[in-house]
Amino acid sequence: MTDTLSNLFLGFTVALSPDVLLFAVVGCIIGTLVGMLPGVGPLAGISLLLPVTFGLNPTTAIVLLAGIYYGAMYGGSTTSILMRIPGEAASVMTCIDGYAMTQRGRGGPALAIAAIGSFIAGTVSVVGLMLLAPPLAAVALRFGPPEYFALLTLGLLVLAFLTGGSMPKSLAMAALGLFLGTIGIDLMSGFFRFQYGLIELGDGIGIVPVAVGLFGISEILLTAGQETPPQVQKPKLRDLPPSREELRAAMGPVGRGTVLGFLIGIVPGSAHVISSFVSYALERRLSRHPERFGKGAVEGVAGPESANNAAACGSFVPMLSLGVPSGPIPAVMLAALMVHGIAPGPLLMQQQPELFWGFIASMYVGNLVLLILNLPLVGLFVNLLRIPYAYLYPAILVFCVLGVYSVNNSVIDVWIMTVMGALGYVLRKFDFEVAPIVLGLVLSPMLETALRQSLAMSSGSYAIFIDRPIAVGMLAVAAALFLVSFLPALKRGAGWRRTIGLET
Amino acid sequence: MTVPIGGRGPAGGLTRDRFAGLVLVALAAFIAWETRVLPLGTFREPGPGYMPLLTAVVLGVMGLVVALRGGGPALRDMSWSEGRHAAMLLAACAFAALALERIGYRLTVIALLVFFLGVLERKHPLAVAVVTLALAFGSFFLFSDLLRVPLPRSPWGF
Amino acid sequence: MSHFRKFMWAVAAASMLLVPAAAPAQDAYPSRPITMIVPFPPGGVADQSGRPVAAALEKILKQPVVVTNRPGAGGAVGMAAAANAKPDGYTILMALSSISIIPEADKLFGRQPAYQMSQLAPVALVTADPTVLVVSADSPWKTVEDFVEDAKKRPGEISFSSSGVYGTLHMAMEMFAHAADIKLRHVPFSGGGPALTALLGNHVQALASGPGPVIPHIKAGKLRALASWGEKRLDALPDVPTFKELGYKDVEFYIWSGVFVPAGTPEPVMKVLRDAMRQVVEDPEFKSAMEKLQTPVVYMDAPEFQKFWDRDAAMLAAAVQRVGRIEEKKQ
Repeated sequence: MTDTLSNLFLGFTVALSPDVLLFAVVGCIIGTLVGMLPGVGPLAGISLLLPVTFGLNPTTAIVLLAGIYYGAMYGGSTTSILMRIPGEAASVMTCIDGYAMTQRGRGGPALAIAAIGSFIAGTVSVVGLMLLAPPLAAVALRFGPPEYFALLTLGLLVLAFLTGGSMPKSLAMAALGLFLGTIGIDLMSGFFRFQYGLIELGDGIGIVPVAVGLFGISEILLTAGQETPPQVQKPKLRDLPPSREELRAAMGPVGRGTVLGFLIGIVPGSAHVISSFVSYALERRLSRHPERFGKGAVEGVAGPESANNAAACGSFVPMLSLGVPSGPIPAVMLAALMVHGIAPGPLLMQQQPELFWGFIASMYVGNLVLLILNLPLVGLFVNLLRIPYAYLYPAILVFCVLGVYSVNNSVIDVWIMTVMGALGYVLRKFDFEVAPIVLGLVLSPMLETALRQSLAMSSGSYAIFIDRPIAVGMLAVAAALFLVSFLPALKRGAGWRRTIGLET
Repeated sequence: MTVPIGGRGPAGGLTRDRFAGLVLVALAAFIAWETRVLPLGTFREPGPGYMPLLTAVVLGVMGLVVALRGGGPALRDMSWSEGRHAAMLLAACAFAALALERIGYRLTVIALLVFFLGVLERKHPLAVAVVTLALAFGSFFLFSDLLRVPLPRSPWGF
Repeated sequence: MSHFRKFMWAVAAASMLLVPAAAPAQDAYPSRPITMIVPFPPGGVADQSGRPVAAALEKILKQPVVVTNRPGAGGAVGMAAAANAKPDGYTILMALSSISIIPEADKLFGRQPAYQMSQLAPVALVTADPTVLVVSADSPWKTVEDFVEDAKKRPGEISFSSSGVYGTLHMAMEMFAHAADIKLRHVPFSGGGPALTALLGNHVQALASGPGPVIPHIKAGKLRALASWGEKRLDALPDVPTFKELGYKDVEFYIWSGVFVPAGTPEPVMKVLRDAMRQVVEDPEFKSAMEKLQTPVVYMDAPEFQKFWDRDAAMLAAAVQRVGRIEEKKQ
């Protein structure tokens, strides 16, 4: 323990020297700018700027990259809250209540709470990462396809609490999302499903164009053509910081989101995307006023934002202690670290303690610099809303096109965004909620792959889900959740149908 | 839920939800038909066609429930006042998809903004020109030159 | 209408600006930025070797070399984009071994091929790493012989993970299984990282992997290497025999990365690129970057690389044909 502290102290003395700090600030600014483009998140930010760091010494390079990483993570929530444009799948839930808060004139507090929540989640998770990485990594390794399948099943059941609308409509949208997720080359057999001559669909439909289309574009389509343009907001200085009630309401969700996100994050694989969905559903379930969700509930911003950040941090656990990237973002970070001489793996902490602790310290510093930098910037960002809508929405559309295009440098993604914008517009006119589509799309490929991998492992025996303790435990929880959540709804549904049968 | 059970709209026509449900059922049928080329596999060894068919079934059943429950206003009473504007914006997005790799980022953005601000919003030409040029060149400079996001250029290198 | 006039004016002004920019195009290659297509997402193997190559090329050619990731369909999207690009030297491609697999898999499924291999011309091989057969350190197999013997006793029960069906790691294992005449159970994952995690977690029993990711685990005593697919033993694993030594003559496989241009690129441009690549592999910054990535640089100039590629492609094609369409075999 004293070793840990002295090592950390060593890391900090490096990370806090003036020139290193300057790089942290520069990294945070660049990251925030890059992250504000929809779709261009930490992934693109780090890989685009990686070659620039080749000439720097490892410490400054890593601090710069950590700054970009945190900045980009945070930049995405800005556009979600102010303009209802999710930068990535994890921001989808932030869009719902964050944007509703903006519409009520509470955009400033929403941004501030997202920043504070991210900071707390980030800092606490780095502590967790530092102290618990090796033992947690051992647990994480026990997650094979069957456990993964069980976890994702839990994620799917979260649907029941995700929206306040009609259950059959939500389930229909989830099914639509699950279907969209099956498009592309089948991982298990190599079959190209629903190709229609477009090889760009091979890796499936991207989540970013779908999320941007369904949320961002559809919002513009609904708003821009109204006879009376939306009121220009004039945020006042005293409306910028969150009120005491808002802060108090946010504390619980931040804490729960942090723990939840970190735990989901350490599981190898891309499951950490679901952490923000799970956190949102959890807060909505725990809330005494679930009807406030979707209309600007602070908890609906604080929970998912913290969960998202904690999960991203948790995903560094398998990366640092096993040297195995567990998703695209850790993969880029891994490459970036390796280029600068840090080879993550089981021996990292013993062999290169100064680099490991330098990295940990730079994560603390990146987090802190971001908070200090962004709280004042909230005022600046909120003032973007002073731009009359007639000028604002064309600019938003242009940035959506730019961002969605640059994820994969693919015009097919711009087409998908356009189609999804139209779909989202029509669906919202017909009173369907679009969040379940995104959840379905996120889960579908993982869920199907995990199921079929499990069956490949056991050559077709479903006993594999029962033989493995973690899997069977989670499936039991899922079954219990199913009974308490869906059954009443389905019963009510059956009642409806009976009545209809009687009438017609 | 104060919607009349049975969902018959006031004018006796289709209600909003009944229509939406039927569209979903049709979509599900289409998906199920399209999966016919994929090997289905078995319950113990699901093939590539298994999951799509399963989602189509769920979609169809849920669509049917939505249709049976009906609800919402009559389809013909729905307001589509912003529809024309929305269609124009979608057409502009489609144009962007077509133009981006043909005439490059900056020309596409100029065309888009001139259309939005000048044609749709009827702003003063000077304002249109200033905003358009500033945004097109400013964003390109920021993202392409400074942040090195690779953005498409036109065949003329622009 | 004034907006349209304005627009036309803007277009006219824009094209005026272009004239001076377009003029030097007649000058010696390269006179404007070069695009390097990496057909995989950031952080992947191709991206990891592509970015240092681009950074070094930039210094040598005195023109920006912009890395553009165009992932999709296991690399087919980016490779097709490069194959169909104008052969003027301003679009280059950083590709992996999978470049030879995709057209074969397309053929297998009767699909319109995304591109033909003849549409691309090799410039230089940058890296080539033999795959290594690894098993858990707790497993009973100490040698390839143990492994094969056990696999023969219980056909189809020992499982291995791979980076995806018809992926490079799958093909490597298939070559070995074919040569040893054994049947293994295949559990594909989406990428080399998840495949390795599955082995580390004991969810599968074997894996063919590039040496970089597994060497730390071998050193830490978590995994055991049984053999490598290389021509000679790996420097980092001097005790691990090659399949060739063990008598599996045709079991040779490398995960390689190389630079390609669209076929039909003029000879003078080719020469500039080939010379530049020769300097790239000598560039100290490039060398140190690749060293840290634990990826040994194996350089080959175009003619040599073409021969290497032809041989590799033929072997991979045969392996894809042997695997066949998986779903149909089951029925």
